[in-house]
Amino acid sequence: MPRRTRPPAPVAPNVTGTILESISDGVFTVDHDWRITSFNRAAEDITGIARAEAVGRRCSEVFRASMCETDCALRQTMKSGVPVVNRAAFIITAEGRRVPISVSTALLRNAAGAVIGGVETFRDLSVVEELRKELLARFEMGDMVSRSPLMRRLFDILPQVAVSDSTVLIQGETGVGKELLARALHALSSRREKPFLAVNCAALPDTLLESELFGYRAGAFTGAIRDKPGRFALAEGGTLFLDEIGDISPALQVRLLRVLQERTYEPLGGTESVRADVRIVAATHRDLAARVAEGAFRQDLFYRINVIHLALPPLRQRKEDVPLLIERFIARFNRLQDRRVPGVNPEALALLMSHDFPGNVRELENIIERAFVLCGNDAIEPAHLPPELVARLPQRSRLNRIAAAAQTVEAQAILDALKRHQFNRLAAARDLGIHKSTLFRKINSLGLDLPPQDGRSSKA
Amino acid sequence: MRIAVSVWEGRVSPVFDSSRRMLVVDIVDGRAGDRREVELPADSPAERVSHLRGLNVSTLLCGAISRPLAEWLQAAGVEVHPFVAGSVEEVLSGYLSGQLNRADFRMPGCCGRRRRHCGGRGRQGEGR
Repeated sequence: MPRRTRPPAPVAPNVTGTILESISDGVFTVDHDWRITSFNRAAEDITGIARAEAVGRRCSEVFRASMCETDCALRQTMKSGVPVVNRAAFIITAEGRRVPISVSTALLRNAAGAVIGGVETFRDLSVVEELRKELLARFEMGDMVSRSPLMRRLFDILPQVAVSDSTVLIQGETGVGKELLARALHALSSRREKPFLAVNCAALPDTLLESELFGYRAGAFTGAIRDKPGRFALAEGGTLFLDEIGDISPALQVRLLRVLQERTYEPLGGTESVRADVRIVAATHRDLAARVAEGAFRQDLFYRINVIHLALPPLRQRKEDVPLLIERFIARFNRLQDRRVPGVNPEALALLMSHDFPGNVRELENIIERAFVLCGNDAIEPAHLPPELVARLPQRSRLNRIAAAAQTVEAQAILDALKRHQFNRLAAARDLGIHKSTLFRKINSLGLDLPPQDGRSSKA
Repeated sequence: MRIAVSVWEGRVSPVFDSSRRMLVVDIVDGRAGDRREVELPADSPAERVSHLRGLNVSTLLCGAISRPLAEWLQAAGVEVHPFVAGSVEEVLSGYLSGQLNRADFRMPGCCGRRRRHCGGRGRQGEGR
């Protein structure tokens, strides 16, 4: 039964108006010139624009949807006569907020059935979108992924840091992903078409590092038969990532300072200065301010590098990322090795969650890679994890999975407390908030293997 | 000095975040000189920002723009005049004569010099 042939039911205009005003979907109509002819209350609420301001204006300048220019639903409907239902887009409010919406359109006909324009209804999906994000609750930047608020703060400022061209100092323990962060900065910057070069300053002896960074001219030393460009020259126009900057010698610190200050340097054996258009991103696992205080690092260089300071938190401070990272690594190794490992089982996950990861994300990645060698196409179990992690697992926990996982965490907490107190049982029990006899009972029931040292008589 | 106006069908494009073309105009002695229309890269904001920088654009006149993108552009040294509406030629001459704040160049719902939302009806509005 084609709807359009049936004349509209004779509803009094004021009733139609009341209905339109009371629904929660935004509704507006346009004439053939795309000028707004009516605008309901929900449309005012969602767009933040008063009806008086909207009526008579072009719909694209009122509605401001991502689809207006390239993929206007109303235009398609006006052309084809076919309604569009629930197409996703976003609009931009006067405050610059993106509001996700879904849009439906239809032709607008008068009582005689003639087309007098179009009608668009739209629904605010902000709540749905929020819930969806909450469910995923992760955010990504380059190759980094996290759901930790600490990382979120970092990711939020990264785009602006990237375009600023200022020197950046990334501080973080080994394996937290300093180079990944530097690469993300490069990829977001205007230099991303140009090279990104990474140099580990701790990996090369001083003299070698100097020629590596600045290059040399033919004849600079025996064997230098032709010019060799340094990393500064190779990274021209791009980004140079100097890892472990805290480890370079005082002499090299002076040379680096000069490049940063004057943007020029001389290759070894060269007589003329060379200009360097390179953005420096430096990284260190050390506390550079402390190195300055010790006199091991030049203060002026420190201030030159430390224009923007980004601190990458260690994995133990963002344990919520462990399952997320495990999922990522497993997906990647499955892809690379053409495998179908479904995941980690709860006991193995409990073990991984209770580990401190001194080697951070890199350590976790290596643990998963190692497990891949051993696990076939089954889920990763405690037996596939490195012995130093598994040693913590109670030997006879095969009851059921959740109990085993709980026992694993309990055992880990007890071992950690004991370690903190040099295996003094009484101190550990106090720390854990349990009686010492409860502790002894738990040590026995969990089958924990403790060293003979008991912390009471420490004869150093 | 070089300015850019995002364009669509001869008018300022309604949403800069998804607009596809812009007019780049060199301003010499307060007058519009050389001009050319260029394409904007598809939706990646990073590409949009570096594209404008690559063209040495110092000022952008555009329609609606999401706040993060506007801030990003400003951090990259591009002055942004957002929520501008009207035909490209009129907007251009309005800008050159310092009259961009005129009401007829404003998108509905946006007002004042800083083009902040000025209340009225809308989300903040109480029921009537």
